[in-house]
Amino acid sequence: MRSLLSLFSLLAFLFAAAVSALSTSGNRLLVILDDVAEKESYSKFLGDLESRGFQLSFESPKSESLALFHLGERRYDHVVFFPTKTKGLGPNLTPNILVDFMNANGNVLVTLTSGTAAPNSLVSLLTELEIQLPADRTNLVVDHFHYDAASAADTHDVLLLPPPTSVRPDIKNYFGAGAGKDDVLAFPRGVGAALGASELLTPILRAPRTAYSYNPKEQAEVVDDVFAAGEQLSLVSAFQARNSARLTLVGAAEMLQDKWFDVEVTKAGANKAAKTFNREFAKRVSGWTFNEIGVLRVNWIEHHLNEAGGNNESNPTIYRIKNDVKYTISLSEYVWTTWSLFTVPANDALQLEFSMLSPFHRLALTPSAAYTSAGESESGYSATFKLPDQHGIFNFKINYKRPFVSNVEEKNTVSVRHMAHDEWPRSFVISGAWPWITGVGVTVAGWLGFCALWMYSAPVGGKRAGSKKTQ
Amino acid sequence: MRWPTLFSLALFGTGSLVATAAAKKTPPEERFNVYHAKALASAPVKLSDPSYRELTSSSRDYTVAVLLTAMESRYGCQLCREFQPEWELLARSWTSGDKKGESRLVFGTLDFGDGKDIFMSLGLQTAPVLFLFPPTVGPHATASPEPVRYDFTSGSQAAELVHSWVARHLPDRPHPPIKRPINWMRWISTFVVLSGGLTVSYAAWPYVLPIIQNRTVWAAITLISILLFTSGHMFNQIRNVPYVAGDGRGGISYFASGFQSQYGLETQIVAAMYGVLALSGISLAIKVPRMSDPKMQGVALLAWASVLFVVYSLLLSIFRGKNPGYPFSLPPFM
Amino acid sequence: MSADPLQVLASAGKGESTRGLLRVIILLLIAAAAIASRLFSVIRFESIIHEFDPWFNFRATKYLVANGFYNFWDWFDDRTWHPLGRVTGGTLYPGLMVTSGIIYHALRALTIPVDIRNICVLLAPACSGLTAVATYLLTNEMTPSPSAGLLAALFMGIAPGYISRSVAGSYDNEAIAIFLLVFTFYLWIKALKQGSMLWGALCALFYGYMVASWGGYAFITCLLPLHAFVLICMGRYSTRLYVSYTTWYALGTLASMQIPFVGFLPVKTSEHMPALGIFGFLQLLAFLDYVRAAMPSRQFQTFLWMFAGGTFGLSLLGLVLATSAGVIAPWGGRFYSLWDTSYAKIHIPIIASVSEHQPTAWPAFFFDLNMLIWLFPVGVYLCFQELADEHVFIVVYAVFGSYFAGVMVRLMLTLTPVVCVAAAIAVSTLLDTYLRAKLPKPEEIQAAEASEGKKGAKSGLKSTSKPVVGVYAIWGKSMMVSALAVYLLIFVLHCTWVTSNAYSSPSVVLASRLPDGSQHIIDDYREAYQWLRQNTREDAKIMSWWDYGYQIGGMADRPTLVDNNTWNNTHIATVGKAMSSSEEVSYPIMRQHEVDYVLVVFGGLLGYSGDDINKFLWMVRIAEGIWPEEISERSFFTPRGEYRVDGEATEAMKNSLMYKMSYYNYNNLFPPGKAMDRMRNSLLPEVGPTLSTLDEAFTSENWIIRIYKVKDLDNLGRDHTSAAAFDRGHKKAKKASKKRGPRRLRVD
Repeated sequence: MRSLLSLFSLLAFLFAAAVSALSTSGNRLLVILDDVAEKESYSKFLGDLESRGFQLSFESPKSESLALFHLGERRYDHVVFFPTKTKGLGPNLTPNILVDFMNANGNVLVTLTSGTAAPNSLVSLLTELEIQLPADRTNLVVDHFHYDAASAADTHDVLLLPPPTSVRPDIKNYFGAGAGKDDVLAFPRGVGAALGASELLTPILRAPRTAYSYNPKEQAEVVDDVFAAGEQLSLVSAFQARNSARLTLVGAAEMLQDKWFDVEVTKAGANKAAKTFNREFAKRVSGWTFNEIGVLRVNWIEHHLNEAGGNNESNPTIYRIKNDVKYTISLSEYVWTTWSLFTVPANDALQLEFSMLSPFHRLALTPSAAYTSAGESESGYSATFKLPDQHGIFNFKINYKRPFVSNVEEKNTVSVRHMAHDEWPRSFVISGAWPWITGVGVTVAGWLGFCALWMYSAPVGGKRAGSKKTQ
Repeated sequence: MRWPTLFSLALFGTGSLVATAAAKKTPPEERFNVYHAKALASAPVKLSDPSYRELTSSSRDYTVAVLLTAMESRYGCQLCREFQPEWELLARSWTSGDKKGESRLVFGTLDFGDGKDIFMSLGLQTAPVLFLFPPTVGPHATASPEPVRYDFTSGSQAAELVHSWVARHLPDRPHPPIKRPINWMRWISTFVVLSGGLTVSYAAWPYVLPIIQNRTVWAAITLISILLFTSGHMFNQIRNVPYVAGDGRGGISYFASGFQSQYGLETQIVAAMYGVLALSGISLAIKVPRMSDPKMQGVALLAWASVLFVVYSLLLSIFRGKNPGYPFSLPPFM
Repeated sequence: MSADPLQVLASAGKGESTRGLLRVIILLLIAAAAIASRLFSVIRFESIIHEFDPWFNFRATKYLVANGFYNFWDWFDDRTWHPLGRVTGGTLYPGLMVTSGIIYHALRALTIPVDIRNICVLLAPACSGLTAVATYLLTNEMTPSPSAGLLAALFMGIAPGYISRSVAGSYDNEAIAIFLLVFTFYLWIKALKQGSMLWGALCALFYGYMVASWGGYAFITCLLPLHAFVLICMGRYSTRLYVSYTTWYALGTLASMQIPFVGFLPVKTSEHMPALGIFGFLQLLAFLDYVRAAMPSRQFQTFLWMFAGGTFGLSLLGLVLATSAGVIAPWGGRFYSLWDTSYAKIHIPIIASVSEHQPTAWPAFFFDLNMLIWLFPVGVYLCFQELADEHVFIVVYAVFGSYFAGVMVRLMLTLTPVVCVAAAIAVSTLLDTYLRAKLPKPEEIQAAEASEGKKGAKSGLKSTSKPVVGVYAIWGKSMMVSALAVYLLIFVLHCTWVTSNAYSSPSVVLASRLPDGSQHIIDDYREAYQWLRQNTREDAKIMSWWDYGYQIGGMADRPTLVDNNTWNNTHIATVGKAMSSSEEVSYPIMRQHEVDYVLVVFGGLLGYSGDDINKFLWMVRIAEGIWPEEISERSFFTPRGEYRVDGEATEAMKNSLMYKMSYYNYNNLFPPGKAMDRMRNSLLPEVGPTLSTLDEAFTSENWIIRIYKVKDLDNLGRDHTSAAAFDRGHKKAKKASKKRGPRRLRVD
């Protein structure tokens, strides 16, 4: 049963790998540019994408042929928006279409740059996701302490930042991991966004505490009200919808340009120049956005009766109260090219809920070696517990939602029935019932004895006997 | 002639001044203590215009439950008079339940006679009205100083219901339970009556016995009860329907329109008709064949049979009135 | 010459055997008539299960037939009361299902392939035939006159009071319960008359069957002890009574305790205490009787009698104390509401909300019993003539039956048998009196006059002190007979008319008359249930008010949240709360209960009175009983105390989910501003309600049933109102960017 499942998943995986790129969700990538000539400046970034197996197709928002859907089906799996001069993106890229695109599991990578206003439809799309851009859209993020002395000695608008660390301790660091401590990210002439309270939003790269965002045109002399400052400015932000469709907002499009991939920058105050980390960072951001990393897959789920003598049928639809049950789920994580073992980060837990209206059990699943060996790419997690003493329709629920990792929400419904009439202990087993049983016995014996006595005792006078008899 | 009026005017003025001044000055704790003391003396506190204003003036750290009622018989407020004893019971048992006033609750009653202005100012048309003024300051203070109003529309006003309502609005405070006093008078009286009845019955036993053993009496009782029940008496009991209702044109309509409704008088008429029908049936079945005189018998037979016939046709016609579209009928009431 | 045929006619029916044959034939004809008169609905519509509860019984029967008895016994039904489920096997009266299951298998064994549905549809009429026979037997125990039994059987066969619950398709417990009721009474009378253990045991057997079939068995449980008690009070204690009662009680109680749903109730609840008390009392009396027979001494006897009375009083006191102490469960709600008639309205709104628990107005009595209602007292009076034990039974039954029937419409059913018996006694007496051919002779009268003296001595009714002389006048006889014939004719016509007009419509399919008189079938219910069956997932949870739970389970075969078996008040109140509060409140409730579809019944377009807006106040009340702070009935009434749905409706009303679901898109049917609710005939506001958490999934032809799909959480994490606004094209970009003041800062 289980091995069969894993076999199926393996086949499915091979099939998927064969047809599509090494992204788990298709390789048709649409790039939106003002004119195709611009793409030269992003050649390295796009080249990396192509080398990773994406089929790029370039469109300008003005072209009529541009359409995200064809007959209700997605024509592209991913969309990249590079900054465009036009304020409107035309009828083919209205916010509603973009929302539909994301609802249909399409991924979006949006890049902005200071100086050119972000298109209306993108702004309203981002607003729907509770990502707020400055009201006047030519804002600029500057930092008078962390800037590139080489290129922006006086404007201070090229920020140099350390590679991002993980937002929370229980999250794997997908973007800054493995970076040397003298690696720096160049964030030239970017726009900072302010994130709302939505739990689907996560900042990938925050501005340093000393950065702020202002409008060079109007607030040249005095900065009266600041749109946002410090760590509230999110320079690169990630959004993952409930269906795991991803949208990434890169505040500075120039980050992805070739010239910032291999330029030497020098930190303010420091005299030695350093290489930028941009290329690797761009690869990771685009890879995450286009489902190449941080993708979880549920291979199979199995639960069965865990009692001696009980039948070991897999995934039965009905249990009895107080049964012992074992639940196992097998997960894999996709890393760039292959499905590999998924290991829950330290100080995080993969939890199982056994719930009816409210959870009756909430258990942390433990990795089980028995299932992990299968194919070396599947890690099994299991828990054993006793069902509650309450009949009803219950759910095995796995609800594992973490930033940067695709959502795992699994629900398996089982009925828990009451004791059948012949599943109770027999009366003679229960010591409390013995008095009553003896009482019954005594009564029966006494009655028989009385009958015998009655029949073998000669009647004194026929009359009394007659009056006793009850006919 | 002029003096008394002036005098009273002056009095009134001073009185109101005093009241307002009191409302202004005294801090809430003091107010509460004063009224709680009153309540301990006799709950609920009998309020008047100024005392009502003072008690419910804002910045209070206590809760006030005020019943605005109209007890005087000329207002004819039946509900008020029914609810008053329950209300007093609730107030008494609550107040005696926490003598130290931990629940910070004062029960007050404002009669329409004493507080016309309040009724006017509140624009109350109906009585009784039960307000619960939440505290505005102190630990139990609530967001809105507006009083909560008890809903008298739901049929019964047992003290327990009101108690639970009050308790709901006074969380995390002691809720002294209701203690219904044992009605000794009733017990004693019932005991006396019972014993008296027993002795009387014992004395009168020889005379009562034949009546008890008399079959006709029992037959009569049985038949009457059957007629009562089958003519929808219980419906009247449960739905307490009106005895009669006037039709639009000032007359009296004896029969309610509609299949599922009836009047008290209507059921009595129906019961009477059933009775007549049953009686004629009985006499036709038992009396008539026992008559030895042929002529008498013939007359009785004719009389009873015709009565039966006519009343039955009347019954059918009435039923047709209740249930339009009922096709059957007998002469003469076609 | 011409005398011969007369001779033949006269001599025909003289012989006992011929009479017996005639009786059998007549009984068979009566049974046939009883069955035939219940087939209107099958002929008009089709062979279909009616109303609500029968749908559950039908479903349970199918389960029984499919899975066998023991699985049925342990049946855990996970498709009702989601997500609680229902221990169905232990919470139903299995008698009905088992009966039809046995019939089904028997017919299969006889190689007669028949659909279980048809068995269920036709079970009630078949039992009504048996009921007629049982009534015949019962009545024959009451009176020597052979015609009374036949008349009673006829009345019972066609009396609407019984037809109302036993037409073809109303596959309900009462269908067989009434037959068992009458037959149990017959056996009781038989046992009492003969004082035989055998008949007592048979009585107990059928009592057990009754307990297995219907909750109304409590009626027997209370009536038989009452009868015994009355007999004892009349000084009629006898070994016959002792034997029959003790046999019945001991065996019957054991039998009743075998039903899991009843279990230990017979020794725990107050409904069953009278039977137990009388049982003990009888033992005491038997003992005293024996002692008295042993030692004849006046004072001693009186002392003994005092002793008996004292013990009885003490035991009664003990019972009361035990009840108040809670050792014995107090009266169950439905049962208690029979005594304290205002109890249910205050404490158990669910019980009060059921239409068949309403009191009975007099037209209902006449509608269901026609002329029997006034023949009834006559018969009871006749029972007083020679007041044997069985007549006492009739009298007691008559009084209590009529009381209960007056309190609850549904209990008209238990009254009908005694009415038929009594009326039959009356009519047969009349007929016997006025159909006697021979005229009274003078010398007989003399003899009668002479014998009058000693006749009057016996303590009977005053009216029967004189001897019967008979009727002299031929014209009188013919007049009375013809009048009776007319009454009987009207009775038959009445019964037929009532049956065909009132009791033969399977409230699943509504029939209405078009202006041109032709019949128009409104089949929205089945249309909607078919839609559910064919367009939704197998395990899609349907939320509706509990009235439709059984039908959804039976016809649409989908899990429901609540159904007509109202065992869990809180769960029903939850649904009531979801229906009567605003979307923001009810959406989490629906999510928590995994609701997929919501079904409402709306009669506004057709003027159909039984719709949810009319039942809405009950939902509110029941919900208020559990959450008094959140739901209040008052907030659904306008300040002037009106219950309105038009422009003046209160805010709570307009925001309630029920209101929105009922009137969603309803305006589009009408020209602007003309939207009309034909049920409440009120003009609806210009703009209809908007729904953001539900999608309209289905609306039936006449808009009677409307089904909504519960939306999933928004994919982009927005709340539904803003998401819906965005889809309608309102961008919130402006608003958001205009928003000044401190922004909520992110902390992570």
